Amino acid sequence: MPGGIRVEYQEELERLEASALGGIDLASAALTRTLEAVEHQDVELAQIVVADDDRIDGRYLEVHQALITLLATQSPVATDLRLISALLHVLKNVERMGDQCVNICKMIPLTGNEPPSDQQMVGLILDMGRQAKMLLSQAKRAFADRDIELAQDLVRQDDVVDNLNRECFRLALEIGDDADRREWAMTMLLGARAIERIGDNAVDIGEQVAFVVTGLFREFEDASHPSV
Amino acid sequence: MGAIGATRAEAEAEVGKTEMKVTTTGTQPAPEAAAAADGRPAKTLETRGVNLFYGEFHAVEDVTLTVEPNKVTALIGSSGCGKTTFLRSLNRMHELTTSARVEGEITLDGQDIYGRAVDPVQVRRLVGMVFQSPNPFPTMSIYDNVAAGLNLNAGRVKKTEKDAIVERSLRGAHLWEEVKDRLDKPGSGLSGGQQQRLCIARAIAVEPEVLLMDEPCSALDPVATLAIEDLIGELKSKFTIAIVTHNMQQASRASDITAFFNLEQTGKPGRLIEIGPTEKIFTSPAQQATEDYVSGRFG
Repeated sequence: MPGGIRVEYQEELERLEASALGGIDLASAALTRTLEAVEHQDVELAQIVVADDDRIDGRYLEVHQALITLLATQSPVATDLRLISALLHVLKNVERMGDQCVNICKMIPLTGNEPPSDQQMVGLILDMGRQAKMLLSQAKRAFADRDIELAQDLVRQDDVVDNLNRECFRLALEIGDDADRREWAMTMLLGARAIERIGDNAVDIGEQVAFVVTGLFREFEDASHPSV
Repeated sequence: MGAIGATRAEAEAEVGKTEMKVTTTGTQPAPEAAAAADGRPAKTLETRGVNLFYGEFHAVEDVTLTVEPNKVTALIGSSGCGKTTFLRSLNRMHELTTSARVEGEITLDGQDIYGRAVDPVQVRRLVGMVFQSPNPFPTMSIYDNVAAGLNLNAGRVKKTEKDAIVERSLRGAHLWEEVKDRLDKPGSGLSGGQQQRLCIARAIAVEPEVLLMDEPCSALDPVATLAIEDLIGELKSKFTIAIVTHNMQQASRASDITAFFNLEQTGKPGRLIEIGPTEKIFTSPAQQATEDYVSGRFG
């Protein structure tokens, strides 16, 4: 009876996967607004991002609870079990990415109405953000298609984000002696760091793709044991 | 307990020889023995190219597997895939059915249990069976139920010795505390779960090497089921255990190794599709058919 058994359970699992991966889109939309708020020093938009994080948290809670219910009631095993485990990880990453956007947006009012900004550094942060959004889109596609190669390529894409982050750091060091400018640069560095973490979250989602497909978990990149 | 089918005296002599060898050479215990430090090393049951038939009907085809010592091996698969038939061949109960026959080789620690000189009764003493429905002898007392195997297998046993074996077996089956004050009452007066533990006590009283269990919990409520599963976990320190179960969660909870049997279609023989550590079978099985079965996608 192929396909004829446990239809509702399978449909529920598919629905929850779509909902969890939809959470990546919510995080990506939050990042888009965050970048716009940074670019235009838009305090109101930043506040909207902070308030809207409840939607991401709500998605996390809703799908997380439904997955726990499936675990408790349907005894999933094999690929289904790996998928549910991976989706719980994806949800956690989505929730963290939303929080990183909130972290950036909470900093925006602290820099004042007309901050002594450095356009080159702002440009780097916006480039970081756009690259991070690309990673999110790629991570979602890799998960939905169970495409390990595409998932592994996230590491290469994330290197771009990391390099831009280092460039931000170099610019901050050379920002000059003006106290206000230095304070602004330090605040912006925190923002760059938050975006860099979003890139890492996308790579983590890629690692879960490999786990779902192969049953083996391994870090694509291990910060404590970097490859030579 | 080496020589199957040999006379009791020969068997005892065999044991003596083994002990002598250990004493004189100082042989180190095998890894399994070390693993079962809190119990005793049990024996390995191996099948090679086993085919089972009922008359013309080919029930099980070409099964080669190892039931490892001091581990619980679960046999799973849909109804009619031959897992119970296979289990029954492991202590020569299959041949009790008219027209049933066995091809291939089944060995207990290397000794062919179907060898020409082998006594099937002796095989069944070394490889005990617990059945689906608890089946204590209804007219016998609890005590006599446990001692029944002893009377059949060991000839005359002193009363004090028998008392000790009955108590040890009932303790081993987690039943002693519940029945010690009514050993003379009929076994059929116990609850279903208690009756099944009584049957397990009866099976282990004769100190077999291997315990085969054919859906031992299918007639029991969830609490009694969990009690039996706990018991199985303890018994493996002394015995090699193979259990047929339809309950997937039971296989995942109670076994170390899982073997999945399947048949292509009705009328075809059942085959062993995959065997491996239970954790692997239930998280990332190698075969799609196993994946579909444990995930409940196919009947």
